[in-house]
Amino acid sequence: MSIERKEVEALIRLFERSDWHELRLETDGLKLVLSKDADAAAAGSEAAVAAASATEDPPAPAPEAVDGLVPITAPNLGTFYRAPKPGTPPYVEVGQSVSETTEVCLIEVMKLFTPVHAGLSGRIAKACVEDGEMVEFGAPLFLVEPEARAAETA
Amino acid sequence: MALSRVFVANRGEIAVRVVRACRARGLESVVGVSDADRESLAAALADRAVVLGPAPARDSYLDTNLVVHAAKATGCDALHPGYGFLSESPVLARLCEREGIAFVGPRAETIERLGDKLAARAVAGEAGVAIVPGSGEIRSAAEALTFAGSAGYPVLIKASAGGGGRGMFVARAEVDIEEGFERASEEARAAFGDGALFAERFVEDARHVEVQIMGDGAGEVVHYGERDCSVQRRFQKVVEEAPAAALPPRARSSIHDAACRLARHLDYRSAGTVEFLYDVAREEAYFIEANVRIQVEHPVTEEVTGVDLIEEQLRIAQGGGLSVTQEDIALAGHAIECRINAEAPERGFAPSPGLIDAWCPPAGRGIRIDSHCRAGAFVPPFYDSMIAKLIVRAGSRTEAVERMGSALAEFRIDGIATNLAFQERLVRHPDFAANRLNTRWLEDVFMPSLVH
Repeated sequence: MSIERKEVEALIRLFERSDWHELRLETDGLKLVLSKDADAAAAGSEAAVAAASATEDPPAPAPEAVDGLVPITAPNLGTFYRAPKPGTPPYVEVGQSVSETTEVCLIEVMKLFTPVHAGLSGRIAKACVEDGEMVEFGAPLFLVEPEARAAETA
Repeated sequence: MALSRVFVANRGEIAVRVVRACRARGLESVVGVSDADRESLAAALADRAVVLGPAPARDSYLDTNLVVHAAKATGCDALHPGYGFLSESPVLARLCEREGIAFVGPRAETIERLGDKLAARAVAGEAGVAIVPGSGEIRSAAEALTFAGSAGYPVLIKASAGGGGRGMFVARAEVDIEEGFERASEEARAAFGDGALFAERFVEDARHVEVQIMGDGAGEVVHYGERDCSVQRRFQKVVEEAPAAALPPRARSSIHDAACRLARHLDYRSAGTVEFLYDVAREEAYFIEANVRIQVEHPVTEEVTGVDLIEEQLRIAQGGGLSVTQEDIALAGHAIECRINAEAPERGFAPSPGLIDAWCPPAGRGIRIDSHCRAGAFVPPFYDSMIAKLIVRAGSRTEAVERMGSALAEFRIDGIATNLAFQERLVRHPDFAANRLNTRWLEDVFMPSLVH
C-alpha cells in the first residue's frame, strides 16, 4: 500500500478535527507521526507534523498563525458584535491584554447572544471582522499575540 | 410569491439535487454546510456556501436557529430542507413562516398532524383511509376470539406497552387464541409490568408500497403513481421501484385514491408520500404513515413520469401552483433505484468512511446517478453512509432488472468499502427477477443465501 500526498492531507485534516493527540502510521516507505503536542520531536527519520496550535477550544481548522499571531475563531455561524450592547464600549480594543477567560465579543444566532472567550493569554493584535457582520464557523475574529511572545518583544 | 434565493439546509446528494433544481428554476442557492463539508460538491455548485458549525450534525445541520439565521443573513427568501435532518421538523417550518422565509414543504400544522404516528392514524380515519384492523384493549381470551372472528386469521396479540417483539404472539387459528392470550399476557407483565393487550390483523406476506403526492396547499392534489420499497433491511429501504408491478389494478387505484383523499383532507402543500402495507393474500392496503418531505427514492417516480419533483416543489413555493393536472401525468416504463452506501455488508454493514480513490460510475441509456461523490472526495464519518443513488429506467421491469445488474457490475469505487457487490447479487437473485418479494425477503431469504 502506497500513500499519496492527498491521502496524507486528508489524514491531517481528519486528525486536526479529531480529539486525538497523536497519530502514528507506518507503511512501505513512509513513517508518519501526527501530534498536537508542539514539542513532539522529529525523532530519527520520522516526519513529525505539528497539526494544530495549542488552542483546543474551539476545535476549528485554525487558519495558519501569521507572524506568530494566533486567531480567535467563531464557534459557529452568527452575527458578530464587539460590544455587549449598541452604544457601549467594545469588549476588547486592539493592544489590550487578554487572558483565556476574557470575553472578546458576542456571536448572535436568532437573538441568542453567546459570548466568545479569548481561549489564550496575550495581547489583541488585530480585529478581523466589522461589528454586525455575519461570520462563518471557524472564521478568525481577532488575532492575538500570545503571552510568551508578547513578553519577548516587550 | 416571487422568490429569488433558496437556502439549502442539507448535505450530500440531495443538497446537490436541490442546487441544480434551483438553477433550473432561475433561483440562486446558498448551501449551509458543516465544517466537514466545506469542500463538498453542493458547496462547489451552489452560488454560495456558508459554514454553519463543526462537523457533528447537532452543532450544524440539526441546529434550527443556526440554519434559519444563516438563511436570513445570506438574504434567502426560501428554504429547502431536503430529507432527514430537519426536514420533518414543525419547529423549522414554523420559524421560517415567522421570519418570512418560504418553507419548501408542507405547513407546520400539517407536519405536526402527520408527524405523530397515532395522530396520523386518526387523520387517516377522518379521511376514510383504511388502517390495519385492530382491537381496543382485550381483557380475556374470549374477547380476543371475538376480534379474530371479525378480523380474520392470523391475528397478532400484543402488549399495549410493547416493543422489541416481546409480549407478542401470532394466532393462526382459533385453537391458538387461548394459549396466545395467556402467553402474551404473561410476557407483557414480565417485560413491561403491564399485562394490557390488544390485537390486530397480522399480515404475513406484506409489501411496502407508497404513493407520491403533490399539493398546491389550496386543495389541489395530484399523485404520481406508486413505488414498491419492499426490499428493506431493519426497516431501511435498500432497493426501490416504480411502479409497484406486483399490485393488481384495483389495489393500485385504491391506494392512489386513498393517498389523494388524505392529502386533500389537509389541503396538503408540496411533496409528500403516503405509505401503505399491502396484504398480498387479501389484496388490501393499509395506511402506515405519511412522510411530509421529498424522499430518497423520489427519482424512480421522476423516471417513469418525466416530472422533476424538486422543481415542482420550488414552483409551488413560488406560488406557481401545480404544473400538471392528474390527466397530464402518464407513466411509462419501469425504474429501479439501488442505494449505494459506504458500508461493508460482510462486516455487519459497518460504515466505511474514508477517501474515495477511484470513482468510475456506469453510464448509458436509462442510467442516472444522483451523487455528491467523485474521485478524491472524502466520505466523512459523521453522517449517513449513502454515497450515491443508482437509478435505471427501461421499457419493462425485466429489462430494468437486467440494466441494473450490468450498471452495478460496471460501477467501480476504490478506497472505501461499498455495498455494490451486495446490491448486484441482490438484483441478480431469481426471486428479485421474478418479483417474488416481500418486506421480509431480504432478511429471511436473501441474506441467509449469501452465507453459502
